[in-house]
Amino acid sequence: MFDKILSFGKSENIVIKNIKSHINLLCSASNCFKDALNKLEPEKASCVIELERDADTIRRDIISTIHEGAFLPYVRPNLCRFVEMVDETFDTLEDAALLFRQIDKSIFKTIEHECLKIASINAEMCELLQIAFETLHGKGNIKEKNLAIRLCEKQVDDIKFELIDKLIRIDVKNFWEGKIVSDFVESITRISDLIEDASDYLYIIEISLK
Amino acid sequence: MGTKVREIMNTKIETIKMDATVYDAIERLVDKRLRSLVVLPRDENDVYGIVTVRDIVFKVIKNNLDIHKIKIEEIASKPVITVDKDTEVGHLISMMEKFNIARVFVLEGKDVIGVVSLLDIMAGALIERARRT
Repeated sequence: MFDKILSFGKSENIVIKNIKSHINLLCSASNCFKDALNKLEPEKASCVIELERDADTIRRDIISTIHEGAFLPYVRPNLCRFVEMVDETFDTLEDAALLFRQIDKSIFKTIEHECLKIASINAEMCELLQIAFETLHGKGNIKEKNLAIRLCEKQVDDIKFELIDKLIRIDVKNFWEGKIVSDFVESITRISDLIEDASDYLYIIEISLK
Repeated sequence: MGTKVREIMNTKIETIKMDATVYDAIERLVDKRLRSLVVLPRDENDVYGIVTVRDIVFKVIKNNLDIHKIKIEEIASKPVITVDKDTEVGHLISMMEKFNIARVFVLEGKDVIGVVSLLDIMAGALIERARRT
């Protein structure tokens, strides 16, 4: 879609390349987090924190290049919002990774199955977001990718209800133990909402370019 | 290689005993926001069954029967149609069309580990399509 509407200058190409790298890093971080959960090795989730730092640098580059004049003015706000949304997804994934290091192992065991499923769907959604962005940049139907992302989000929502059902039955020793598990669940279930929002921005960008 | 049933199945399954009442089933279906329950075998020689919202509406409520008196064994369908977790989705669709059923339970060995509904197949197909095209 970008190709159809705009003749690309150097700065536009830099932004597109950086956005692709940004989403690519999110995919790597999601897969890394999923592996850490799968292997029940909290220390392995530190890769998310490292990748988030790299992603922050890329985000700053993208935003400044856009504000230096890349793209037509009416495209810039939604493109910036899309990038911010991917960044917020990264921040939430980082929160989940940090909380995973603190969570009580026996409590995690009781919700492990649901958390693994959510982490797996989140990773799949990152991949779909990457494909959706490629679609916006090249050819294809972004509406279909958007629908697939919404379907995945609904799956996470369903699991969230099961998780809440389990969580209210868990006995916690103190305030912090309860807060950590609650925040952890909140973080991993919020990621899909944010990816869905980011995908909606892509769709808005596509419409605005028509 | 086609998609396998285990890749799209929903592991959210709830069970109920043969001797439970229809009221117990309704309570569980409403609480868990489900449309069917797996009916547990009575013993090792018995097989799994299924009780659905349709069974309750058409066999109990329509006939003004007492939901506290009717037992699950009176309205459940047995045996339940199952597939192995490694069955290909294409084969599953043919099977569901042939038997005119909306959901099939998934087995690992002798245990029911999941359920696949027509909606799961549709969602799975759309996600797969979005990844490919």
